Amino acid sequence: MAAISTEAGIVDFVRAARADKSPFEIVAGGTRRAVGRPLDGLPQLDVSGLSGILKYEPEELILTAAPSTPLAEIVSVLATKNQRLGFDPADWSQLLGSNGVTTLAGAVSCDASGSGRLRHGGARDSLLGFHGVNGLGASFRAGGKVVKNVTGFDLPKLVCGAHGTLVVLTELTFRVFPRPTHFAVLALHDVSPDVGFAALRKIAQSALEPAGLSYLPGNMAPAQGQGSAFIRLEGASQPLEEKIALAHGLLGNAVTRFGEADPFPTIGNGEKFARIDGDIWRVMIAPSDAPRVARELNATHWLGDLTGSLLWLAAPSSDGPRIRKIAAGANGQAMLLRADAQTRAQFGLYAPQPPALAALGRSVKAAFDPLSLFNPGRL
Amino acid sequence: MLLPVTDSKIVARRAEIVAALEAIVPGGVVSDKSGLSTFDSDALSAYHQMPLVCVLPADRYQVSEVLKYAAAEGIPIVPRGAGTSLSGGALPREDGILIGMGRMKRIVEIDYENGCVVVEPGVTNLNITKAVEAQGFYYAPDPSSQIACTIGGNVAENSGGLHCLKYGLTTNNLLGVTLVLPGGEIVTLGGKCGAQGGLDLLGLVTGSEGLLGVVVEVVVKILRKAPVTRTLMASFDTVQEAGTCVAAIIADGVVPAAMEFMDGRAAEAIESYNQPGYPRGAEAILIIDADGVEADVSYAVSRIVEIVAQSGGKSVEATDEKQRARIWSGRKAAFAAMGRLAPDMICMDGTIPRHALPQVLEEMEKLSQQYGLGFCNVFHAGDGNLHPLIIFDVMKEGEFERAEAFGADILRLCVKVGGVLSGEHGVGIEKRDLMTEMFSEADLDQQHRVKCAFDSQGLFNPGKVFPTLSACVEQGHIHVHGAQLPHPHLPRY
Repeated sequence: MAAISTEAGIVDFVRAARADKSPFEIVAGGTRRAVGRPLDGLPQLDVSGLSGILKYEPEELILTAAPSTPLAEIVSVLATKNQRLGFDPADWSQLLGSNGVTTLAGAVSCDASGSGRLRHGGARDSLLGFHGVNGLGASFRAGGKVVKNVTGFDLPKLVCGAHGTLVVLTELTFRVFPRPTHFAVLALHDVSPDVGFAALRKIAQSALEPAGLSYLPGNMAPAQGQGSAFIRLEGASQPLEEKIALAHGLLGNAVTRFGEADPFPTIGNGEKFARIDGDIWRVMIAPSDAPRVARELNATHWLGDLTGSLLWLAAPSSDGPRIRKIAAGANGQAMLLRADAQTRAQFGLYAPQPPALAALGRSVKAAFDPLSLFNPGRL
Repeated sequence: MLLPVTDSKIVARRAEIVAALEAIVPGGVVSDKSGLSTFDSDALSAYHQMPLVCVLPADRYQVSEVLKYAAAEGIPIVPRGAGTSLSGGALPREDGILIGMGRMKRIVEIDYENGCVVVEPGVTNLNITKAVEAQGFYYAPDPSSQIACTIGGNVAENSGGLHCLKYGLTTNNLLGVTLVLPGGEIVTLGGKCGAQGGLDLLGLVTGSEGLLGVVVEVVVKILRKAPVTRTLMASFDTVQEAGTCVAAIIADGVVPAAMEFMDGRAAEAIESYNQPGYPRGAEAILIIDADGVEADVSYAVSRIVEIVAQSGGKSVEATDEKQRARIWSGRKAAFAAMGRLAPDMICMDGTIPRHALPQVLEEMEKLSQQYGLGFCNVFHAGDGNLHPLIIFDVMKEGEFERAEAFGADILRLCVKVGGVLSGEHGVGIEKRDLMTEMFSEADLDQQHRVKCAFDSQGLFNPGKVFPTLSACVEQGHIHVHGAQLPHPHLPRY
């Protein structure tokens, strides 16, 4: 393992690895190493020393940080100015049973977003620019440090969800968002998936700008019954009362203020599945397909987030092919998030893509990292 | 700006190429001189070039066959939507096939349940909204040319508009595209599920300015129209006060739907032009929209009014829809109004960190004196996107060249203060040679490697975006003569 905390050091390391044709694993906080195809036995490049907020301009809505900055540090610094990251970064540590520090670049690279993705999108929707080192050992930058920029290719989009296969990141610049001073969670209890998801879609199609829309079947919900639909609304105090009234207008009086702890962090972080056996899958589909696909998947433990466009479920490893087939049948994607190394090696993170798209993906990967030195095969 | 060198061997094969394309797209090939002259420019009308031939495919399979043919024969391709690009993205090549997407304009599906619409690339931006507005929905990105520009072109340019600060650019409002690659393969990136199962190629393709493929289908998100929109106009005695006000509004956590800045000169010219009621003598004016549910908007408006007052400004609110429209009519007439001050005008497009506005305005003033040319500023203040308008008279010896040099210096200034060359118009041919001001050789090399991953033959829109060694003159502008824009019926703001 090499621990390097400067961009120049990373350039040297990558050039040496390139000369040796020696691939390696990029590691920072280490909380997401068990995602994607295993890289057992590869040497590690530890970039956890590349840490710290480099520039924060609240009135510009801009934050620049080193990639291995702990998310907790960023969240608390932004909170002092009533701001937040737009992509609601998810912490999968409990789900994956991993110890370590959850970092900014880890969340970006794994496209790890919680339920709040509904409001401002994923990391790709607010990452404005980055610095990094490509597989040729060249340091470069892409994007910019202003909120509106169309100069050159939008490479920042590519590094979000690339699982560290394109670039060793050395700096990230985000657009940040105001953090509403108030929020409320509403619940519609004892409803079937059909009724629950329909209610969520009604809110999604309204002007309420919801920040969380999830359905939990009875065995996953805090309240008993068939299941519960949860709605998170945000705003300043007085406007929030009006939003709640509007939600009542759309869904009737059965929807009530949820008095218990905010369920959304545990949903978004996958913590609902932390103590459930089996492989954990995330199935991404069109929202209106959620009840039907959930029935087909027929899992004992599951839930629907993001209006139903994301189904989480636990399943035995033998179910992998069936889950992938159901997702493909719904024009969706099934991502294997938690499984043992053998299963992850077998199924990969996603299903194989159609040949032309797979070839294009390989070409793009090669444009950054022609010798496949970075996290080879993980994505 | 130097146009790409023409391959005379391809030009010599013109008749054969026209015949081959007619076999692929029967009745959809334009090859006569008068027909082709329609396509010889986009909205960057300082540049004209007749295409070798123009082909208008009717479906994705014809697009695929055209691209396969072009790849096999090594013929350059220039994709075109409605030709409203302000950066020359659709400028044809003498040795290239112009592939126009205007015939593919079906709305394929409206899916309210999933909040999306599936369209062919030739559907105009505004027609998406028109198709869903009866149900209370709209498509958020609103470039000023939205009545004419197509969604395929919007994807290519990652188009913005007045409401980006709150609602994002095109890239934030797409779920999927189907793309024909330079080799003719058809790939679908994303879709209603909003996921791609691999690298975010959808994000990469959006804003790639026709360098990576031809978009043949788009899935866009639609939003519920906000029930309430209120408009404020604020006037200030100094630019600094207006700048402080903008920063304070953002820092307060209010996200206006739109926040537009005009300097005193622009406001004065506009007031003389169509009398929207802008106060005379103000050094800066802000127009601010807040939208959302009633109480959200009331709260935002009360905060904005207070912050304007604290910043030393005076605000008035439009009392009805008619007055709202009147206030906005001035801002939207800025280009035309400037056209009354001088026969010619060029419009720049850069983004700066908002805090740099006073410094940028001051340095622009110096440049104005240095070049001996007038200018004014309109500015999407919420997101820092600056549109300086430089006025000149093309009939006066050397003024055009001076205006171009002035414009290039403004863009250099944007980069110097931490900004970028283009906030929404794209690089195209217009800002191509300024790319090195913002990006190092290594930065550009990485982008070029990505280009090659899609287009190894370099046939797609060659001569755009990437600077060439042979170029020697920089410029960046929309050229307006006699207050006539290239598409005079389109508002430009």
